[in-house]
Amino acid sequence: MENYQKTKMIKPGLTKFIKTVFLLSSLFLTTMCASRKSLPLKGPLDVSNNKVTAGQVVFMEYCYKCHPSGEAGLGPALNSNPAPGFLKRFQVRHGLGVMPSFKRNEISRDDMDKLIAYMKALRHNK
Amino acid sequence: MKYTKLLLFLFFLSAFYLNSCYRIRSPKGGGEIRDFNERKINVSHIALPEGYQIEYIAQGLTYPSGITFDEQGTPYVIEAGYSYGEEWTEPKLLRINADGETTLVAKGDKNGPWNGITYYEGNFYIAEGGQLNGGRIIKISKEGNVEVLVDNLPSYGDHHTNGPIIMDGYLYFGQGTATNSGIVGNDNAKFGWLERKPEFHDIPCRDLTLNGINFESKNALTDNPDDVTETGAYLPYGTSSEKNQVVSGSLPCSGSILRIPLSGGDMELVAWGLRNPFGLAVSPDSKLFITENSFDERGSRPIWGSGDVLWEINTGKWYGWPDFAAGKSIVNDEEFKSPKDKKLKAILASYPNDPPKPAAIFGVHASVCGFDFSSSDRFGFKGEAFVSEFGDMVPQVGKGLAPVGFKISKVNIKTGVVEDFAVNKGNRNGPASWLKSSGLERPVAAKFNPSGNALYIVDFGVMAVNKKSTRPYKKTGVIWKITKKQK
Repeated sequence: MENYQKTKMIKPGLTKFIKTVFLLSSLFLTTMCASRKSLPLKGPLDVSNNKVTAGQVVFMEYCYKCHPSGEAGLGPALNSNPAPGFLKRFQVRHGLGVMPSFKRNEISRDDMDKLIAYMKALRHNK
Repeated sequence: MKYTKLLLFLFFLSAFYLNSCYRIRSPKGGGEIRDFNERKINVSHIALPEGYQIEYIAQGLTYPSGITFDEQGTPYVIEAGYSYGEEWTEPKLLRINADGETTLVAKGDKNGPWNGITYYEGNFYIAEGGQLNGGRIIKISKEGNVEVLVDNLPSYGDHHTNGPIIMDGYLYFGQGTATNSGIVGNDNAKFGWLERKPEFHDIPCRDLTLNGINFESKNALTDNPDDVTETGAYLPYGTSSEKNQVVSGSLPCSGSILRIPLSGGDMELVAWGLRNPFGLAVSPDSKLFITENSFDERGSRPIWGSGDVLWEINTGKWYGWPDFAAGKSIVNDEEFKSPKDKKLKAILASYPNDPPKPAAIFGVHASVCGFDFSSSDRFGFKGEAFVSEFGDMVPQVGKGLAPVGFKISKVNIKTGVVEDFAVNKGNRNGPASWLKSSGLERPVAAKFNPSGNALYIVDFGVMAVNKKSTRPYKKTGVIWKITKKQK
């Protein structure tokens, strides 16, 4: 009886743990899959939003070389990365693994907003 | 609170996992192909923007590397006569006939690769790489008569003599560096030239003062496995540098854009501090642009994460090699530190000038090569540059998670925005041989015809790359032609 109660108490924690691991694993696996969104394959990107156009220029200066067209290259593909904007900002500011960090003296807060807007638009380019 | 800690722990664990994962993952280069048998061509395997079409006009070429047109718009191609992998064939100038067959105009010596060609007032001008006997600029008449305009260029190393183009009565050409990042090392022994030319090294165009940074390596020139040697920048293998040592500059020099007057006269320096300035082209508003193949993660001073560059050339400027990449200092910057090495130190004690800002930055290891500007509404994208991307040589040049290059990109030179223009279809980017399709392999030159309505692509053909060797395949080169569809 005692053992049964103990099991019941641990179960919710274990479930959350499994869910978290599953979420992280899915995120990891998704980022590893390339997703091609470039002009010849998906048509032109909607750049009617000035923020997106400006973000594209920031992307070209800091991100394109490792993630050409948002696809995998030296680094993983970004186009299929479902991480929310705040996590992407965190990763750009602090780096992750072999990815370098980009502080505010390189990418300003304003430019970061534009960059995130562009990455979102590229990801949703159909 | 309990779960917050757990989530934080998992976040850092996953960060560590991703980091470790990158280090242990095997590289995935586009040249890592197996069981290649025959090159097949199918234009439907290539994606282009809506309203454009592609066809092929010649195939079965061996290491084609450049294209030009005469006054009538007849295309002429060169076969390089040399490929990475120490494969030697005869360099050739060929006319492409209307039926796709070729006619030989002239042959070259065993001193390839012929890296580029241009046509001007009845003659062809060719940049001869010069791997064995030094780089040369040669002039060939339509009848096949050969005249050497420049010789003894410093091309015995990693990179060769490139270009050329003609502008304002001058012939401009590019001269690549001997090494990856200024130091002769064991990567150069693997390339095959260190044993051939053990005294060869980079030559600056103007005097430079060194910081006295030296690099140790196992001596590749002796059989003794315990023999260690030390090498400094701009010096022969096994020669150390000292702090504040001045290395004398001279012409011809490594990593430069040079020019000669077409009417005859001395060689002049246009720009320097470039690693491998491969493609040269003039914009519609008469400005000189070049493509630069940037650093690799190899040798005694490996540099990580350095994208290839499109530069506008300003006369007299130094562009940053070997201490800058794309106008940005690599010194003490985590962005350029190899995951398996220490942060980088400055080789030079002072710099001739602050390097300019690039016109555009491409993918790491993309190997941007020949390019041209659209100058006609009959093709569209007027004023934009169309750049061939030869594609990566991973794992020999470093690591990558997926193939990079193997396509044609277009560049808005006002904003620096690079977009795909012609790519192979499929879930992933890569050469046709890697994707097991029948599209593009390794585009090495892009050139508009004189009327500006068609973009011709020189596709070098299939090249397999692994850790130990490079294997190019003869007779797999193709010439593609892209035009706007008629409405």
